[in-house]
Parts: sequence; C-alpha cells; structure tokens
Amino acid sequence: MDFTITDEERDITTLASQILTDNVSPQDLHQYDSRDITRFDAALWGQLAESGLLGIAISEDHGGMGFGFGHLCLLIEECGRVLAPVPVVPTCLSALAIQQFGGAADSAVLADVVSGKAVLSAAIHEDCNDDIYAPTCEVAAGRLTGAKHGVPYFEQAQSLLVVAVEGGETGLYLADPAHESAQGTALWTTTMEPQSYVTFAGTPARKLGDAAAVTWFLERYITALCAYQVGACEKMLRLTAEYTTERQQFGVPIASFQAVGHRAANCYIDATCLRLVVQQAVSKLDAGEDAATAVNVAKSWCGDASHRISTSTQHLHGGMGVDRDYSLWRYALWAKQNELQLGSTTYHLRQLGDAIAAGDFDIDL
Amino acid sequence: MKLAFTQEQEQLRRDIRAYMQELMTDELRAELHQDFKGEGGGPLWKECMRKLGRDGWIGLGWPKEYGGMEKGPMEQYIFFAEVAKAGFPFPFLTSESVGPALASFGDEDLKNEVIPKILSGATNICIGYSEPGAGTDLASLKTRAVKGDDGYYTINGQKMWTSLAEFADYIWLAARTGDEEKLGKHGSISMFLIPMDTPGISITPVYTLGSVRTNATYLQDVRVHESRLVGAENAGWKVIMSQLNRERLALVSHGPSTAFLRKVCEYAADTTLPNGERLLDQDWVKMNLAKARQGFEAIRMICYKQAYEIAKTGNLDMAEASSAKIFGSEFLVEATRGLMEVLGYASTMHMGSQHNVLGGEMERMYRTLSILTFGGGTNEIQRDIISIFGLSMPRPMRA
Repeated sequence: MDFTITDEERDITTLASQILTDNVSPQDLHQYDSRDITRFDAALWGQLAESGLLGIAISEDHGGMGFGFGHLCLLIEECGRVLAPVPVVPTCLSALAIQQFGGAADSAVLADVVSGKAVLSAAIHEDCNDDIYAPTCEVAAGRLTGAKHGVPYFEQAQSLLVVAVEGGETGLYLADPAHESAQGTALWTTTMEPQSYVTFAGTPARKLGDAAAVTWFLERYITALCAYQVGACEKMLRLTAEYTTERQQFGVPIASFQAVGHRAANCYIDATCLRLVVQQAVSKLDAGEDAATAVNVAKSWCGDASHRISTSTQHLHGGMGVDRDYSLWRYALWAKQNELQLGSTTYHLRQLGDAIAAGDFDIDL
Repeated sequence: MKLAFTQEQEQLRRDIRAYMQELMTDELRAELHQDFKGEGGGPLWKECMRKLGRDGWIGLGWPKEYGGMEKGPMEQYIFFAEVAKAGFPFPFLTSESVGPALASFGDEDLKNEVIPKILSGATNICIGYSEPGAGTDLASLKTRAVKGDDGYYTINGQKMWTSLAEFADYIWLAARTGDEEKLGKHGSISMFLIPMDTPGISITPVYTLGSVRTNATYLQDVRVHESRLVGAENAGWKVIMSQLNRERLALVSHGPSTAFLRKVCEYAADTTLPNGERLLDQDWVKMNLAKARQGFEAIRMICYKQAYEIAKTGNLDMAEASSAKIFGSEFLVEATRGLMEVLGYASTMHMGSQHNVLGGEMERMYRTLSILTFGGGTNEIQRDIISIFGLSMPRPMRA
C-alpha cells in the first residue's frame, strides 16, 4: 500500500498545473457562456501538445512519453481543477484504446494525438438505454447504424470510437465521423462542452475489439471522469474555505461558525474518500488487475461526492455561488454532467449489487 | 503509487486469519456473548490473551528490545482488522496506545514493571481521563493530586467511563498537580500509572445500551508514590496527546464492518423467500448491500492511507485521521441500518432468543454503535480539526 507520489508524478502534476492555470481563468471561460464560441481553446491545446502532455500515455514509438493510465489521470485531475476548455478526456482515452487494440494502420492517428493535430471522440451513451455496456447501435458487414447521445467534440473529431453490438456481441469500433452517413445535431449541454446527437446510417466501422475491449475502455473512461472530479471537487472546496474565511458577518469570518466549518468539513471527508477510492481504481487498472468493483465504487463515490460538495459549496457561498462573475457556478455544471455521464451513482451501485449477488462478498481476499 | 499489499503482508493476513479462527472456539464465543462480557475479562478470554502474548502477536508492532516483532504500522493495521473481523475483543488501548506512551515517557523502573506484562497478555490498563464535568474539554478536569513531603501524592476525585476497570490491573490516570492559575489548565496536569488495588480506589458499574459495562471510578485519599508519575510533574498533557494519537489508528478499522457485510451476504444467499427466489437476488437487497460496500471500501482505503502516513512520517495526517473517525463511525451506523433491513425483523431478536438471526449479533451490534460517534473525541471536535487543519479555516468560536 504505497501512496507515495513519485518525483515523476509530481513533475507531471506541476507541469500540467502550470500550463492550465496560466491559460485558464474564469474570465477566459466566460467567452463560451453565450454558446456563440465553441468551447475549445486551440492555443491551450497546442501548448499541451508541445509540452508532451497529450502523449503522456502514448508509447514512445508514436512520439509519446510512454507513461501509463495513472499518469494520464494526473493530467485529467488538473484539467478538472480549472475546467479546461479542451477535449483531453475523450481524446486521450480514445487514443489509449486505439493504442491497446488497434494495429499498424492506427499509428498515424496516435502520432496526430501526440502532436495536437487530432481530436478524438467516443460515442457511448444512447437515448432511452440505461446500460452503457448493452448498446443498441448495430454493426453489420462493417456498417454502423443507430444513434448515440452526447458525443463530445463530434464536430472536431478526426476519429470516433463507438460501442456497438454485432451479432449479439458487444464490441468496440472505430468509425469515421466525417462520413456523410454520420449526421450530428449540436446539443446545448449543461457545461457548454460541445456535444452532438449522432445518427449513423451505414457508417463504415472497423472492429477494434470484443466485449472485453469495451470493458477495458469503459472502465478507464469512467475512472478518468472520476479523476476529473477529484480535481474539480478539491477546487470547489478550496474556493469555499477561502471565501468563508474572508467573508465577515456579525463582525467575524463566517468560517468561524461551527455550522459553516462543519458543512465544509463534510465536503472535505467526501473529497478525501473520493480521492482514495479513485486512486484505488487507477492503481488496479494500471496494474492490469480486475478493477470492475473498484471502478463501480469510484464512480458511485464520484456521483455522491460531486453532488454533495457542489450543493454544499454553493450554499456556503450564498449569492456568490450563483454569480456568473465568480468562478464557482461553473463547477456545479461539471459536477452534474460528470455525475450522470457513463452511469450515475445508482447505476454503478446496481452493478456492484449484481456482483455481490454473484458471490463477491469479501472486501479483502 | 501502488495500492497493493506485498506478498509478505498477504501472507501475514492469512496467518492471522487462520490463527484467529483457531482461537475463536465456540466456548470462547459463548463467554463473549454473555451480556456485559463482550469486552473480555472472562477466564477463557484471559487465557487467550496469554496465548496471544506467548505467540508474539501482542508485540507485533513493538521494538525488538521489548521482545516485540517490530513490524510496521501497515502490518499492525492488518492485525487489527483481522482480529476485529474474527470478533475477538482485543484490548488495543493497553497494548497499542497506553503501552507505547508509557515506553516513550515512563521511567525505567515503571517500564520494567509493566511492559513485559503488557506484551505477555497478563495485564490490562483502564484509562482515567473523563470526569462528570470534563469530557470534550478534558483539560478542565478536577481530580487533584497533592504532593506531600514524603514523596507521596494524595489523590481525590472521580473518573467516568473507565471501561474495563473491573478487570484492569492499572489505571492510567490524569490528575491536576499544579496551580491552574499560574501554569494554565494544560500545564498543570500530570499522568500516573497506578495499581487498581491501591487503597482508596473503588468502582461502580455503569451498564450501557450496548450491553457493555463501563464504570465510574472514585479516588478517595489514594496515596501514590512519585515513582508512579509518567513523565514529569505537570507535563501530562503531552503524554495524553501522544496516547490519543496512537489510539486513533486502532479505533476505526474496516474489519468488523466487512465481517458483518460478509455474514449478511451469506445469509441472503442461503435464504429463500416464499416465491422461491433468493433473498440476495432482490433488487432492494442488492442495493442495500452495495451501499454498505461503497462506504466500507472508502473506510478501508482511508485506514490504509493512515497506516501509510504513520509508517512514512511517524505521524497521522490530522485532517485525514479525523475524516476516518467521522466517516468510519457515522457510516457504520447507517450501513448497519441497511444490513438489518436485509436480515428483516428477526434481526431485532437478542442473542439469547430463539429464532434470532446470525446468532443475534446484529441486535447487539446496533446497540454498540452510538458510542463511536462521540467516543475517542466527539465528531464535532473532529470536524473542527478538519476545518482548521485540513481547510485552513479560522478556529471556531467557543462561547
């Protein structure tokens, strides 16, 4: 049980934090609030590529840094801390799956991810379907049909991962988002993140892997969203500690009221638990161990902690929390989006319950 | 960061588990299941403590110079968790918190008298901190020790919640020795380690909700030689803080909760409803079990993190330790509620009853939990610690 942060890990966090805090301020994010400008900071994307961070988990053969999923999650956590207006999560997670399951033909796209030329996306959610592991989008004879909801950065994506079913078997596919048979409708998401509702009418799709590949991919994608929320939740908490310490009422800082301190302390406990269970999932995935339960636990905590920390920190800020000239309100949007993305708390508890019913009774083996 | 156990640690866990399974005989369980005997103190329990001492387990984390195994905090935590899972009431306060504090602050004669007895499982120590008027504000205690010219102190006062005093050989006692006006309330307290059979010490039982006996302890003109001081006169607060810090790791463990979760899962798997379906396959049952698992996984990780911090720095991260105490205690209360729902109405039947479920353990369990949220430092104070040390917020106002 080694929780030590290595020098390498610290360096990555420092580098990512420096680039992201230098380039993302609440004022910078304000420009996207009207939805007139796409929430994609190309200059920042270029800087992340230049620093090598976009290739953090891509092998050196493709020009990357050759680190693992755990190192990528450090970058993602820092993205969550500032709500970076760049598609790090869909791009890097899709690249990870392509690297794992793709072939020689996919080298170019990985190199493009590392250099910042390519944005990748993943089509996972479906409307009126409560199970991300059981898609209705169908592949037959290399052609994809069906519809996907909330596909991030579809308009910008050079390549698209799709979870679909073929002959009754779930699989992971690579589709061309620019093909005329793939039609996207732009959505107004709660976070202003560009997403599309995409219909496929015979879109060429190449199989990357079977159901095991889908699990491999989704477990990492889900955990990445959790890592994002670790950063976002900690930021909400820090803002709240600072604000309540400055804000005076009855002649004293409101943070000196136990009722305020205790509500903040509850958030601290949630953030602590979230970080630890996410680290557990990351560690298992990095080691290639069975991580199904750890991922369910992490995402269920992600939904609970994000919801509670978001609503509590909003409350403790009073009117400042909802004021669009202050930064906290935006975190409430991401807390909700990531709570519901790739399975809510209840969804993951249900999966956990199914595993328990199948005989997983013991926490320690 | 690599969150996995070493092979040696996994082996240690298996060894302890096997050892404890053998130790927990039906006869011992029957002794422990008697009301007000669950904390130990019976003849079979005493015999087991001697055996644990002989086989070296009590000294697991102790330095070799005391005859210990000198294992690290992670190994010690593995030990606590497995012992707790087995349901054995191990007196951690004696071996893991008072003992080490004595080793740090006591003089040689006192250490030579007491420590070998602790490590051989031959002695128990109860703690005399709280008083009728001093709980959360411990430093306001009123028990007074007045030193005479002959090197003896005369002690008068009353202590509350002195658990295990009925079979303790010593009391670890905090008393006021100095002038509070001059030295301050923290700087005028001393620690003593006093044999319970010293004339003037008497106890009366306090029977509690959880079928756990605790005591009120009275000290009337108790004469104690200065050699019984632990640390210097008026330097007791430091000793108390050191003891309390060591107590925290043992206080919350994922051991007992996960043992109960397992038992409830097994019960639900073996129970068939009138419609022929397993209890375990009901959606609401799976949800209750999953919610318990969700929280217990976090408790487990937060405990490992603390063991890691102690191993690495020698200290707990204060805000994290308080988080463990708060979440560990409050979640256990909630999870137990959900697990009792799964067991159904029969889970309210006492251990002594016919037609109880899981031997009535859950009926006792829920009655013992309420002490966890205020015992070992009430959760309000723990939340203050988090806001001050974890979030750098100003100290909350007092009065």
